[in-house]
Amino acid sequence: MSSPLVTLDGVSVRRSGALVLREIGLRIEPGEAVGLFGSNGSGKTTLLRVLATLLRPSSGMGTVLGARLASSEVETIRPQIGLVAHEPALAIHLTLAENLHLVAALSGVPRSAADEALSDVGLSGASQRRVMHCSNGMRRRAEFARMLLIAPRLLLLDEAHVGLDPDASKLVAHVTAEVTARGGAVVLVSHERERAISIIHRAVEIRNGSLIEATP
Amino acid sequence: MIKPLDVAAGLMLATALVLGLVVPPDAVQGDLQRMMYVHVPSAWLAYLSFATTLVAGIAYLRTRRMRWDHIAGASGEVGVVFTGLALVTGSIWGKPVWGVWWTWDARLVLTAVMFFVYLGYLALRRSFDDPEVRARRASVYGIVAVAQIPLVHFSVVWWRGLHQPATVLRPGDPQIDGPLLAALLAAVFAFTVVFAALVSRRAEVNRLEDLIAAPSAGEPVAGSGVAVPPIVGGGR
Amino acid sequence: MIRHIAILFRAHLRDERRAGEVTLVIVPFGMVALLVVPMAIGIDTPLLDRIGPGLFWVVLLLFGTLVSQRQSASLSESRRDTLTLLGVDPAARFAAAAMAGTVLLTLFAVVAGTVTFMLYDPEIANPAWLGAILPLTCAGLAMVGTIATAVTSGPGARSSLAPLLVVPVSVPLLLAAAQATEGLRASAGILRWLLLLCVVDVILALAGVLTARPLEES
Repeated sequence: MSSPLVTLDGVSVRRSGALVLREIGLRIEPGEAVGLFGSNGSGKTTLLRVLATLLRPSSGMGTVLGARLASSEVETIRPQIGLVAHEPALAIHLTLAENLHLVAALSGVPRSAADEALSDVGLSGASQRRVMHCSNGMRRRAEFARMLLIAPRLLLLDEAHVGLDPDASKLVAHVTAEVTARGGAVVLVSHERERAISIIHRAVEIRNGSLIEATP
Repeated sequence: MIKPLDVAAGLMLATALVLGLVVPPDAVQGDLQRMMYVHVPSAWLAYLSFATTLVAGIAYLRTRRMRWDHIAGASGEVGVVFTGLALVTGSIWGKPVWGVWWTWDARLVLTAVMFFVYLGYLALRRSFDDPEVRARRASVYGIVAVAQIPLVHFSVVWWRGLHQPATVLRPGDPQIDGPLLAALLAAVFAFTVVFAALVSRRAEVNRLEDLIAAPSAGEPVAGSGVAVPPIVGGGR
Repeated sequence: MIRHIAILFRAHLRDERRAGEVTLVIVPFGMVALLVVPMAIGIDTPLLDRIGPGLFWVVLLLFGTLVSQRQSASLSESRRDTLTLLGVDPAARFAAAAMAGTVLLTLFAVVAGTVTFMLYDPEIANPAWLGAILPLTCAGLAMVGTIATAVTSGPGARSSLAPLLVVPVSVPLLLAAAQATEGLRASAGILRWLLLLCVVDVILALAGVLTARPLEES
């Protein structure tokens, strides 16, 4: 049995003196896709940012991909984390291809891989279009192309289904399956439980800042 | 609640005031020179609060204890008052002595620049809701700004040095008479204690303000379904 | 690290070339400023010759704050997160942004300088020295501007705040640049001012690199 990709033990996050996450415990095994639910503002995005090593817990311990949180170890595993945030991480004056080429260059992957990723998400025809002229759905697809490109071991999807038509929704399933098949893990936040259920293996829910196991 | 530090500050300030009024007037400038007992300590506090803000900023970044940020902010506020006071008293003093409200003396220019650095620092602090974001940003700006102060000093001194020798009367001139020097030292000491008292008070107010701004127990923090457990800790 | 800086630097410039904020908005604005000053103070030719260089540096300082605040220099939180996850050091991001800012400010300075020469006709003994003074000054202003933009980024901070943070801190740069130019006019020594520019630049570079990480965390 291989070791878990994520372990959180008693992780709390305090913002402006208020406790947003309280004593979170979580364990995610390789190959797992976990749905993360909760009402608006319950702390789902905060938890995703902790898992992405972008937010230090105020207290508690945890590891992500073997690196202890809040230690300098996280710097070595960061490139193996893929985060699709609520707002697309694209430079609006650059074309879709240029945005992906930038990611490829920074992570030391050949450009051709970026072009392939774009065509995988159905954007090869629009690759020379500047982001500012792209619809929200196209921007969203470009984000998934970025995930295919960096091939993360831990994939974090915030509001995975927002702004995607049913066809594009298949992308979420596709990318998720891709990561879990390689022995990676996926944490997926979605408001659309019905769409999420078919993708995930189990569900957790944040209530009152605490994490509880939930039936999907 | 009155703290011993407040009492000490009040007593010393009163002593310095009396001393400043009873010592004999200056041989050349007469009573006008008594302005020195406010001007020099104010200028000293301008530097002292800058240094305090810098040290507290570095301490915050190292320890991440909000206490340091509260001190840095308090010191900035007290500093802007005394920097302003130094400028105003210098100006009032300068009018009869030099015949003008303002002169491009190196020390004056430096003090004016510091005044604006403070204003920027305080405006920056007011811009953020999240106390931790505020603390981080303000510490960084404080460090960068204070690192520039010696360079501002040199550049201004060189700039003026090219055109004219320093003509300003030097308040801390060693030729100063015994009693006058004693009164001046008493004033500097008293102002320093006042500074400590004000910063300590203001830092406490800063801490309380952060506590008030933080969502209180039982109140929804960000959305429905989430309640803040009764843990208080905004400040420490 | 150096590879990352080079990649981000190129991306910055490409982004700005497309957006055109500096070339199409800020440069013309600076030129207008140089044009309207004689309208306010009169067209006394010797006087204009006298104030031209100083005015140029003031315009560079004030309008330079706009260059540092250009839209292409501010990254959204999600773009910042993406770069962090790609393993880009915050110091590398600072360096790339400051270098791009230096190039754009130098571009601004060259155009505004040419306009100053045309409108004010100042006499400068050794204009070749400007080739050293200009980039050193622009680099310093770009670094101050990059730091100021970073500390004021995010919700809450007003966009008018950054210039207030930049200008007082840039006094040594302004004085050194203006006095060096004055030295060229009077054929006096300018070495100490060049040295001051270098020292300011080094201190700002250190400050920017050392504070990049604490600014980053959340």
